[in-house]
Amino acid sequence: MINARRMRRRLSLAVVAVFAIVALFSIRLVDIQVVRAEALSNVAGGNYREATTWGTRGSIVDRNGTVLASSVDRFNITAAPDLVDLEGFDRIVVDGDKKTRVAVSFQQAVSEIAEATGADPAALTKALTADPESKFVYLVKSVKLAVFQAVADLRIPWVYSEPQPARSYPNGAIGGNLIGLMGTDGALSGTELKWNECLASANGTTSYAVSQDGVRMPGSEVVETPAVNGGTVHLTIDADLQWFAQQALHEQGSVIGAQWGTAMVVEIKTGKIVAAADWPTVDPNDPNSAKADDAGARSFTAPYEPGSLIKTATVAGMLDAGVLTPTTPFTVPSAYYIGDDVIHDSWAHDTLRYTAAGILVNSSNIGIGQMTELQSNADRIENLKAFGFGSPTGADFLGEEDGQVRGLDSTDPVTAVTQQFGQGMTATSAQVMSLYQTIGNHGVRIPLTLVEGCEQPDGTYVDVPDPQGTRVVSESAADTTVNILENVVTNYHLGPVLQVPGYRIAAKSGTAEVAKNGRYTSDRIVSVAGLFPAEDPQYAIDVTFAFPVTIKSSRAAAPTFNALAKQVIKTFRIPPSTEPAPSIPLTW
Amino acid sequence: MSAVTQAVLLPAPERDDSPRRHLDIAPTRAQRRARPRIYAALAAIGGIGVILLAQLLMSIVLADGAYHIAALKNEQRDLVREQNAAQERIEELSSTQSLMQNAAALGMVSSGNPVFLDVLTGQALGVAGPASGQVVGVNGNYIPNTLTADGSTLIDPAKIAAGQGAKGGSTVTATDAAPDADGSGVAPVAPKPGTIPSPTTR
Repeated sequence: MINARRMRRRLSLAVVAVFAIVALFSIRLVDIQVVRAEALSNVAGGNYREATTWGTRGSIVDRNGTVLASSVDRFNITAAPDLVDLEGFDRIVVDGDKKTRVAVSFQQAVSEIAEATGADPAALTKALTADPESKFVYLVKSVKLAVFQAVADLRIPWVYSEPQPARSYPNGAIGGNLIGLMGTDGALSGTELKWNECLASANGTTSYAVSQDGVRMPGSEVVETPAVNGGTVHLTIDADLQWFAQQALHEQGSVIGAQWGTAMVVEIKTGKIVAAADWPTVDPNDPNSAKADDAGARSFTAPYEPGSLIKTATVAGMLDAGVLTPTTPFTVPSAYYIGDDVIHDSWAHDTLRYTAAGILVNSSNIGIGQMTELQSNADRIENLKAFGFGSPTGADFLGEEDGQVRGLDSTDPVTAVTQQFGQGMTATSAQVMSLYQTIGNHGVRIPLTLVEGCEQPDGTYVDVPDPQGTRVVSESAADTTVNILENVVTNYHLGPVLQVPGYRIAAKSGTAEVAKNGRYTSDRIVSVAGLFPAEDPQYAIDVTFAFPVTIKSSRAAAPTFNALAKQVIKTFRIPPSTEPAPSIPLTW
Repeated sequence: MSAVTQAVLLPAPERDDSPRRHLDIAPTRAQRRARPRIYAALAAIGGIGVILLAQLLMSIVLADGAYHIAALKNEQRDLVREQNAAQERIEELSSTQSLMQNAAALGMVSSGNPVFLDVLTGQALGVAGPASGQVVGVNGNYIPNTLTADGSTLIDPAKIAAGQGAKGGSTVTATDAAPDADGSGVAPVAPKPGTIPSPTTR
């Protein structure tokens, strides 16, 4: 009886105690979660730090993976002037197990920084002492890792640092015009801008709690936004060949006093641009290394009247239409009249008995004029457009120009003839290249490509171009045209300069007159375009110089074409031809 | 009846000289249960002690680990930076301008007409001849590179030779190359159509 009563008393006591504890906890909970919530979270937040995690902007690489543009680590050396003690500070020097204190004066610290960074000690002193209340000044901006480590090793208490990612172009001006420039606020031009979506990275943030001594608390890290690295843009360019083309342009361009030049090499069977050189060239490491006009890629953005190189398209189109054979005889007079206007050849001559092949090889404007009588203007314009003149090449370079081929309603009787030999119409070097790619590829035009795709950080490729070939002229028309053009190398006055012993090369020279204010001037744009090996064309090459002074004919471009052809043969190990070029009668 | 008779008949028990046996009050059931409770309480308190101690040790280890992680993370960051810097240096050294500089310093010149050695047939292909026409690169490099302009990528061949001499003068010999079936020291070649077969060299 007594036990039972005692039990009940104990039980009620325990229950009361439990309730009391629960009530106590509830009050505390309300106190923490509601009453003092803000104050507490402020205190807790004070121990939280936010850090930027840096995403890396992607690289631009060539077809072999050679890096043309990449992101590199640079560091800004900063300081807190409010912490600077002009009396100096004690540096703890660790020598083995011994630690000794060494007094370092302010001036000594400044001169140590100056020595490590190469900065001016007076400027550093001024920055540090100008405003002693200031909490932040830049001492030296954008230094390399070795310099940053040297400064960090000085263990100066008021010196800090911050990472500052930068852009570097390890191959300098090689492909500089294609790569483009980066400004402080992002991409400015070229591939950097055109492919910015692929290359761009995004910085992320991480927050973490720190203990009193600044150590990250375990498990407190919260990744708020992860950093995203940029993708890699793969160009179709071969950096070594690109260097060679730029160097060859520079050498010859300087000799002949030209203002600018372009050179292009295209893989005939794929339409891939292996080299797209421009001279002058910008070194993207130093945007001021070239004038603004020279910083772009004229190969794509500067249409000009290409001149005789276009005769190839005219003859191929007429061979395809069946109005012409290589041996069709023409009696070429000394001038060709269209109403009151007259067309001459680049050399004075009496009446000549040229075959169609002879007209193309000897580049007779008069002969081309006579040929235009065999085909309607509409068909001839259609033919030029089918070769890609007046429309994009597919390379999709930033600011690429389409050039101009006059339509049926806007061609006067003279232009209707002259644009068949490349005057009165405009094209870029890339478009000319596309013509020779088409002829070399047995009449099938494949849009040019400059970028193989964007490789994302996970290794997958996006934006891979898928160029579809279209037939422009028949296989026999294209192959016959190639055989005719081989005679330029074997039977024309430029032949000895153009030929590479052992190889069958088809080429066409061009000396175009340059119009200014509606009149043709004495300025010339000279070029040689061609392809090889003629029996199974693999590569097409185009070399152009604008406004040469010492040699004002295609003879100025021929040595560079030849040098580039040899280099392409060496680079891609093209075997020599085994059979001689067929001979086509040029006269009758 | 008989039992009573028997009891009477029995002799009176003798006085026992042995010391009196100690008697205990038999514990009640409650008392019997109480003792194990004390053991349980001791065990519980001990257990709590052990747990607290373990917790203390664990938090010490954890805090120590936090310092360790922080140190390793810093080290990792520094090593990644070092790797990036080394990569940057490699890219500068392998740039065409740097190769040009160093090739010119070694006295190398541009080659002439393309001639190839077909390693499958041992035949020389092409027409040999001296460099003619425009010999590109003969007057030095014209394509600027701000990064190599200071000559930081120029390698002194004498230094390399001295370095190799210090290592016992061993230059790469044929036996250093991976041995292959015909013992020629040249890796076998699979010819690509349209090109001249050639070993991949580095």
